[in-house]
Formats: sequence, C-alpha cells, structure tokens
Amino acid sequence: MSARLLARAPIGLLPIAVLIGIWQAVALSGLAPPALLPRPALVFARVLEQLGQPEFLLHAAATLRRLFAGFVVALVLGVALGLAAGVNRRVDAVVRPLVRILAPIPKIALYPALILTLGFDDAPKIVLVAADSFFPILLATLQGARAVEPKLVWAARAAGTSAAASIYKVVLPATLPAILTGCRIGLVVSCIVVFLAEMISSTDGLGWVLVNAARRFQTVDMFVPLIAISVLGLALNLGLSAIRARLLVGFPEEA
Amino acid sequence: MRGLATLPGLPPLLAIGGLLAAWQAASLAVGLDSLPGVPATLAAFPDLIRDPDTIRNIADSLRRMVVGFAAALALALPLGILMGRSRTFARLMNPLLMVTYPVPKAALMPIIMLWLGVGDLSKTLVIVFAVSLPVIYHAYAGARAVEEKMLWSAAAMGMSGPARLLRVVVPAALPEILVGCRTGIVIALITMVTSEMIARQSGIGNLIFNSLDFAQYETVYAMIVVVGVLGIVLDIAFERLRTALVGWASPVGEVAVASA
Repeated sequence: MSARLLARAPIGLLPIAVLIGIWQAVALSGLAPPALLPRPALVFARVLEQLGQPEFLLHAAATLRRLFAGFVVALVLGVALGLAAGVNRRVDAVVRPLVRILAPIPKIALYPALILTLGFDDAPKIVLVAADSFFPILLATLQGARAVEPKLVWAARAAGTSAAASIYKVVLPATLPAILTGCRIGLVVSCIVVFLAEMISSTDGLGWVLVNAARRFQTVDMFVPLIAISVLGLALNLGLSAIRARLLVGFPEEA
Repeated sequence: MRGLATLPGLPPLLAIGGLLAAWQAASLAVGLDSLPGVPATLAAFPDLIRDPDTIRNIADSLRRMVVGFAAALALALPLGILMGRSRTFARLMNPLLMVTYPVPKAALMPIIMLWLGVGDLSKTLVIVFAVSLPVIYHAYAGARAVEEKMLWSAAAMGMSGPARLLRVVVPAALPEILVGCRTGIVIALITMVTSEMIARQSGIGNLIFNSLDFAQYETVYAMIVVVGVLGIVLDIAFERLRTALVGWASPVGEVAVASA
C-alpha cells in the first residue's frame, strides 16, 4: 500500500514539505531560539551522523532485540490461541470474555507491575511489547479463522486429513491474510511500546537516548531517536508488505 | 458458547473472577512484597480515596483526557470526512498520516514540554495528536464507503452540497466514526498515563511511579487497577453509545484493543 501510494500521489509530499518549510522558517526567523528548535537540516545531518556511530547503533540494537523478542512471543501466542478459538467453540468460550476484559486495559499501566515482578532488565520490556502486540494479532487471527469457508475443511477431512492436520493445512493458510494484517498493526504497536518503555525506565535503547538528551537539553539529539524509531516503524511496515506480497501471490492487496 | 451466552453478563464476570484468582495465586506463589495479593491491594483503596492529593491527581488526569479527546474529535472528524469525500484531499493527506502513524506520540512529551512548558497544554496536546490518527482514519473509511446512490438521490431532491454532507454522509458514516471514537477514547487513556509516566509531574501515571519509588507497592497496584477499570468502563460505555445510536449497523470490531 505505502510504496504504491507514494508513487501515485506526489502531491501527498506537499504537506510534509510545507511542514518542514514552516519548521525551517520558524527556526530561521529567530522566533524560537536554536536551543529550542534546531534547523531541520541540522537535525537530519545529525541523524545521518549518528547512524555511523557504534554507540548509537548499539542502542538501536537493544531496542530491536526487545522489539522482536516481544513481537515473536505475541505472534506465536496470538496465532496459536486465535486458531484454537476459531476452530474450537470451547476454547472460544474461554478466550472471548477474557479478551473482552483484557483488550481495553492500557497495557502500559502494567509496566510498573512488570518492573516490580521481573526486575529492571529486558524482561519487563519484552513482556510489555508482547502484551501490547498480542491482542491485535489474536483478534485478527480469530476473525480470519472464523471466516474460513467450512467446506474447505470438510473437503480436507473427507479426503482423509486428520482434524489436527486440517488446522495447519487448511485453516492456517486460509487465515494467513488476516494474520498478516494483525502483524502489521502489532509491529507498529511494538515499535511504539518498546520506545515508550525505554523512555519510562531503562539504561539503554533508543527511548533512553531521547530521555538522556532531554536531561542535557540537547535538543538536536532529542529528535534523532524519534526519527529513528519512526523510520524503523515505516521500514518494518514495508518489509511486512514485501513478505505479504511473497506469501500471498495473487491475493488482492488490502486497502 | 451458546450455553454460556444465555446469561449475557456472566462470561465477562467469570473472566474477571478468573483473572483475580490467577493474580492471587501468583502473589501467593511468589511471596514477594513487590506482588501483593488482591485483598492487600483492595485494602489500599480507602486510604487512597481519603487522600485529597490522590483525588486531585486523578481529576487532573481525567480532565486532560476529556479535553484532549474532545479537541481531537473536533479536529479529526471534519478532516477525515473531507478526506473520504475528496480524493484529491485524501491523496494530499495520506502520506503525511502514514509518516506520522509510527511516531510514538507520548514520546513527543519532552520536546513539547521544552516549547510549551510542563503544564496542562503539553499533556493535552500529546493526547490530541494520539487520538486524532485513528479518528481520522475511521471517519475517512466511513465517509469513503457512503453509497453514491444516496448522494445522487439527495442531489436530485435538490439538497445542496453542505446539506448532503451533514444529512447523508455523516449519518451514513456514523457507525465507522463511532468505532474510531471507541478506539480513540482508549488511546486517550493510554496516552494520558504514558505521558504522565514520562513527564513525572502530575496525574495518575506520576502517582504510580511515585508510589513505586517509595515502595508503596499496594498503592502501585491499586492505581493500576484504577487505570484498568477505567479502560474497561470507557470501552463498555462507548460500545453502549454505539449500539444506542447505530444499533442497525452490524458491529465492525467487537473488541477494542488498547495499544499505544
């Protein structure tokens, strides 16, 4: 969606350009002192400079490690539970009310409890990322699994496939588009949450870089991790689109 | 599932009971001060309610949340509906929205605080940013999907452009708009708590981490319960509102997901 959209609609770059233009104008006019609002060129140059710094890359690596660890846990649990509840009514009867209660609870509020029980290291951040990206993936899988044409399963069963095998041979592939949609939401959520968790309590990672720069009033350095995490989110999104295109050849692109 | 569904309120209540039992069991199994059980946490509530400072913090938080949510609706609904009705406008706005989508809004807190100070304005503004995106998206999707024939009929009957927008597009898009509002209110709550945890200056999020620093673990868990219950109650309230206003439209998403 994203790449095609950008290619087709160059006018969409206009608001972005205007915003950067206003930023540049305000910075140049002296309305805001450079300590509060550095020029855009300065910020972008600093982003490029930091990308070559091993220290910054180590922080980015710490963030990525937590992000993927949490996301993978959410993916495995979400898909497994979603498929189980989509196929089995008893599982569904247990999962659905639990989701109804747990999904609207702000997971970030659990972060202090996770710190208290799991310590200050990676574990609470990974669990938080997993908890936050779990529900979009679970709900998408559940919805997809219920929409699978029952005739497909009957046909497979009639052809001698066991009940268990028909889940991963028929239901899973048919649910894949929905799962990937859930993954897309889950990935962006993971990006955001890992960053926020690092800002709230951490000693490394991109979120910590922002908080650290804020403590020293280094405004330029405050923009760098923000831009980095946003670009990371966009890149992961594009990567997932590419995976989707490979996995679902011929399947219509989502709107 | 059918058997349980005959008592509509029962499964969620059972779920809550199960969750509380799991919490209590975990507390007993771990046996640490840092994971108090359910009775100990509930026992912290009377003191919290009697403390005017706590009540003021909670009230501050809720005020910012409501103001931010309302401002976001006022900004995002017209924008989203306009995008849904004008392809050019949608093409103009889409890339900007796409680029801002993965920005963690609460993380803007330190920068916005530099510009606007540590007061209410910064905290409310962050909520406005965070709530606007899903509301715009759903208003856009709703307004785009309006049946063209209804608009033609209205035009044939002599309805002017603005009148068609108000009397045809808005009602037709309302189910989707309300889904956006439901997502938005939960996001407002999340952003509120998160920005207060980052800025540590006032509000519920600040209270939680202050109690954590002072090792008042029961208070920490009691405040987490408050935030969790707020999330559930707001979600149910908006679902009720949706059913009351647009019960004719089939529910799009049955469950709202609270994600940053």
